[in-house]
This record gives sequence, C-alpha cells and structure tokens, in this order.
Amino acid sequence: MKKIISNKSLILIFLLAAVMAAPVRADLKLDGFMQGLYGGRLDEKNPTSSEQTANESRLQLRLEQINDKSEFFGRLDFTYDGTRDGQNNDNYIWELREAYLKTRLGSHIDLKLGRQIMTWGTGDLIFINDAFAKDYRSFFIGRDDQYLKAPQNALRMEYYGGIGSVALIWTPRFEPNRLPDGRTLSYFNPFSGTIVGTGMGEQYYFAPALPPAKFENGEWASRFSRTVGTFNAALYFYKGFYKNPNGAIMTPEGPMPIFPKLNLYGASLRGPLAGGIVWLEGGYYDSRQDRGGQNPLMPNSSTSGLAGFERQIATNLTVNAQWQVDIMSSYDTYKAQQTGMHAYVRDEVYHLFTSRITKLLHSELVTVSGFVFYSPTDEDLYARLSTEYKYTDQVTFAVGANIFDGKHDATSFGQFRRDDNVYLKVTYNY
Amino acid sequence: MKRYTQIMLLAVMALLVRNLAVKAQDATEIMKKSHMAYYYAGNDGAAEVTMRLIDKKGGERIREFTMLRIDKADGGDQKYYTYFKKPSDVSRLTFMVYKSATGNDQRWIYVPSIDLVKPISADDKNSSFVGSDFTYEDVSGRHWTEDNHKSLPDGQIDGKAVYVIESVPKKPYKGFAKSISYIDKDTYLPLQEEYFDDKGEMIRRLHADKIEVIDGIPTVTVRSMENLKKGSKTIVEFSKITYNVGLKDDIFTERYLKTPPHEYIK
Repeated sequence: MKKIISNKSLILIFLLAAVMAAPVRADLKLDGFMQGLYGGRLDEKNPTSSEQTANESRLQLRLEQINDKSEFFGRLDFTYDGTRDGQNNDNYIWELREAYLKTRLGSHIDLKLGRQIMTWGTGDLIFINDAFAKDYRSFFIGRDDQYLKAPQNALRMEYYGGIGSVALIWTPRFEPNRLPDGRTLSYFNPFSGTIVGTGMGEQYYFAPALPPAKFENGEWASRFSRTVGTFNAALYFYKGFYKNPNGAIMTPEGPMPIFPKLNLYGASLRGPLAGGIVWLEGGYYDSRQDRGGQNPLMPNSSTSGLAGFERQIATNLTVNAQWQVDIMSSYDTYKAQQTGMHAYVRDEVYHLFTSRITKLLHSELVTVSGFVFYSPTDEDLYARLSTEYKYTDQVTFAVGANIFDGKHDATSFGQFRRDDNVYLKVTYNY
Repeated sequence: MKRYTQIMLLAVMALLVRNLAVKAQDATEIMKKSHMAYYYAGNDGAAEVTMRLIDKKGGERIREFTMLRIDKADGGDQKYYTYFKKPSDVSRLTFMVYKSATGNDQRWIYVPSIDLVKPISADDKNSSFVGSDFTYEDVSGRHWTEDNHKSLPDGQIDGKAVYVIESVPKKPYKGFAKSISYIDKDTYLPLQEEYFDDKGEMIRRLHADKIEVIDGIPTVTVRSMENLKKGSKTIVEFSKITYNVGLKDDIFTERYLKTPPHEYIK
C-alpha cells in the first residue's frame, strides 16, 4: 500500500509542477495523448488467465523545455490496465518512459543523461547490434510503435569529429527485454516442455531474476559511425547480458532462468541503391559463460547476418524485404545435448525472412500496413496487420491483428501461437 | 522572280528560327531567375512554417515546423532541415533532405519516441509533403533544366505585370504534363503556377497570397496550393524569416537530426 501512495503523490507532484510551471515559463511545453486499447484473443485454448490481450486506458504527459544550449524532456505514462485482477490496486500503473537532459559539451560532444529510449542498427524490427531493451509484451498486443522499446536509465556520450562519430552508453543497471510473462500472453517453458500461462497456475508467471545490481553488471554499448560516400558505415560493441533469459543455472529448487553474459561485436552498412535503400548488418554473439558450447543450459555463441532492401514501388506504396541468417557455433555439441533431452533441435543455420508493405491512402490520413516474419528453418511465422485512420489532427482510430503460427512449441514465434489477437485503439492527442 | 521569292522565304524562315531561339532562350532565362528568387534567396535561410491543410469539406489540419536551408551553390545542391512542432503526434520529429540539382535526393527521418534514424527511399519527388497539396518538389523546387520552356504573351496577375511561361517536362513525368508560370517582371517571383495533366485539364494551382521584403529580399510569405481534382487546398504561411543566418553545414547531419540546433527551434 505504501508504494501506491508514493506513486500517486509522485504523479500529483508531476502534474502540479506541470500545471504551475506552464503559465510562468513560456518555454515549457506540455502535450501528450490519451488512448484506449482493447484487444481480444482468437484462440480459446490459450493458457493465460485473461480473455483479453489488452484492456487499457492510458494518459501520456510530455513535458519539454528547450534552452539555447540544452533540452529537458520528460514522458510519463499513467495506465489503468483492466486485464489485471485489481488486487492491491495493481491495475493502476505508472511508468516514467523518459526523463533526460540533453546538452552540448563544447563543439564536439553531445550528452544525453537520464531515462531514455535507445535504438541503433539498420534492421527493420530485426535487431542484431541493438542490445537495448525491447518490450515484446507491448509489441504483440497492438500498442504504438514507441512501446516496442523499453526505457533504460543511461548515460550517453557522443563525440562528433572529422573521422565520424563515437557513441558510448553506460547503463548502470541491466535492463532486460520485456517478454510475454504468462498473464495476457502465453510462452514456451522449456522445463515443462509446453506452452504455459497463468491460467494453469500462478507459478507460470514468468519474472526471471536480474543480475545483481553491481558495478560490473552494468551494460556498455558503443558505436563508431561514419559516412562513406552516400553510405553510412558503423561498428558496434556491447558488453552485458543476453536481453532474453535464455540460459539457466541449477539451484536446489530446480533450474532457474538467468540472463547469460554476452559480448557482441558487429558492423553495418546502409545507403541508397537502385532507387531504394539497402542495408547489411552482421554481429558475433560471444556467449561468455559457455564459449565451448559445453553447458546445455547456456546459449552457444553465434554469428548473425542481415540483408535488406526497401523501395517505394508506387505513389504512397513502400515495400521492403529482409533476410537474416544466424549460424550457431559448436552446433554438434548442442545437437547431441538437445537430442539427449528430447527437446526441439534447431538447425545450425537459422533463416528468417521478413517483409513490410505500407500503403498510404486518402491524403496520407489512412495507413494500411502489413509486416510478416517467416522462418523456413524454425517453421514459424508472425504477421502484424494494421490500419490507422487519422480522423483529425487530434483523433486517431486503429484496428489491427497479431497472428502467430508454428510447427513447434519451442521456436521464437511458434511459442506464441496461442496468442493470436485483434485490437482496436483510439487516441486523442492534445 | 522565282529565285527572289526563294531568297525572301529563306530570309523569313531564318528570322523566324532566330526569333524562336531568342524567345526560347528568354523563357529559360526567366525560369532560371525565378527559381533563384524563389528557392535560393540568400545563402541560407530560417523560417517558422505553418501549413493549413483544408479538405473539400472544409476540415482543417495544421502542420507547424521550423525549416532551415543552406545552399551549396546558387542553383545547385541544397540541404533542408525540418523540425516539427505540431500536431502533437509528430512533435519533435525531424526530417532532413539533401537536394541534388542533378541526381537523386537523399532524405532522412528521425523519430524521437523510439530514437530511430531512418533513410527514406526518395526517388518519388512527386509524393505529397506531410499529406499536404504540396509535393516534395514544390517545397525544394523543380530544377529549371528538367523542362523545356516557352514564352506566352505577357499578362497580369493581381495587378502586376508578369511573364507567362509554358513548361513541358523533357522526360515524361507523372507530376504534370504541362505547367504555366506567371512570373513577376520586377521580382521574378512566381505569382501563380498552373499544372495540367496529359488531357490538358488543370490539376493544381499555386498562388502567391502575400509578398513582403525581408532583409532586402522580396519573399512570398503566404502561398496556397489548390488541388482541383481533390477539391483540397493548402495554405502555407512563413514567419520569422531570416536570410544569411550563417547556418553551419554540420547542422545538416545526423547529429542535429537527433538533437536539434536549440537556438533555431525555440
């Protein structure tokens, strides 16, 4: 209870500060949106405890102040989540999405300090070198694109000079991906060998423990980027943990999922070609706790590559296609381990194809979009379909669907095949 | 006698051809001067822009942004930087164009809510700018060498004497089959432009609604574009215009795409 009171007072303070400051500081800008999102599932056999994939009302407040040399920006979300049972008022959720200060230090250095959302790399919804936190719980139920990324408390420094730019980001406390946790979306549990959800028991609520909050468990991400002709070339390095809890350790109570240690080295190239944009990206995932692939509970190292091309093929019609390849190191060891455990055995070389089609209609007020992921090696797919109508500058209506399919319970998208859903979303921008 | 007629005919034809050549030269020269006055005023420029998008039922949408421009050479390559302020769902979004006078443009967008920098395939200059009745080409200018120009008899627009120039794209172009420009004889600013499709029907009409002298440079501060096919209209108002600001070239890079030049967008 105490926590909720402090949450409420914080929001009150934020609101009061915003309202009081507005007339005083002409350069302080306040805006945001209100949104209703309602999603129903299409699969009766879903093992979660909620019939709805989404039932939420959201208020986002944005606060911005720009000075000559710096910029403050804050974004606070206050949500009522009707899919939760309301015990301890757990359906009132607030989240500070962003709160940062951006400033220039001399003529070559930019700083961005605080809670922020970060993205880099070239892929369209495929992330090889982008080891910043993603929120698949939001992504799979029709929340806006901005919710695909989860915020991190980070210090970001970027140097810009003649040779290019160098970014260095330190996230003191590891921030994981937000994955389906069994409450509104089911997932594959390797220990029970099936797709599970909280409808089968509260023990299937999935909340893996984070690495301890120690200095050495912070995340470091860096990028060197420069322009080569009309192309942008970049090198990446990341030291931290796999963002998904895809490893485990044995405890007296049984196996416990953990976030294995990771080093990631990569490169990318992107630029205009043949009337469109082409991109190439590659990365080596060094699984630091299982370099030889000996530990069956830890992921093996792997090498990932991506090629993509996007082009506007007709007025207001843009199409892209991507091909990703992931090659597992020490595959024979892995195969022997998995076969012994009667678990799903992936191919040594994993392939993923994606395509996005976006059509703008009616003076760009209507956006019809489809995105499909398909893996011929894992034999699974995920399709995202949506139509959005900007009724006025303030009011937007959207409908959409998230469809999963797969032959195996254990694969990236196959594990969500009980989570098919359709949604309706209404937004009022103010 | 017959020989005399032949000589006369030849002389007349030569005169005609020469006249035509002079006329053609003039028309191209006028369009070039107009292009310079309209799109290349000063070495750089900054302005606050308000676009009112009015649909055929009278419904109105607003787009507000700061626009910065720098010229690499008069009549040559340019760079544009746009920082959106309204509507609120696109506020803080930035957009950058490297306009090439000869080749393909390059465009980038930065979406701050997901910290995403994305190059946009930009071979279609005829697509709408932010959903308005203006195309990308209307904003940054269609190079005068892409069309053949011809002078029509002079005329008057809003009480001002104008050159009337007919332009036909050298290569078939889906944006228009023919356009007629009414160019102010004093300032070389286009006071009106009419675009026609291949059936000779007018599809769009641009009008200069207000002209002011800013930093000594005559400038169209309010312009409107009517889409006669859709029945829609977009009115653009420029305010806080400044020329020769001394914008640095590095503003037009990914660095400023991600963190705007605060002093210009306040």
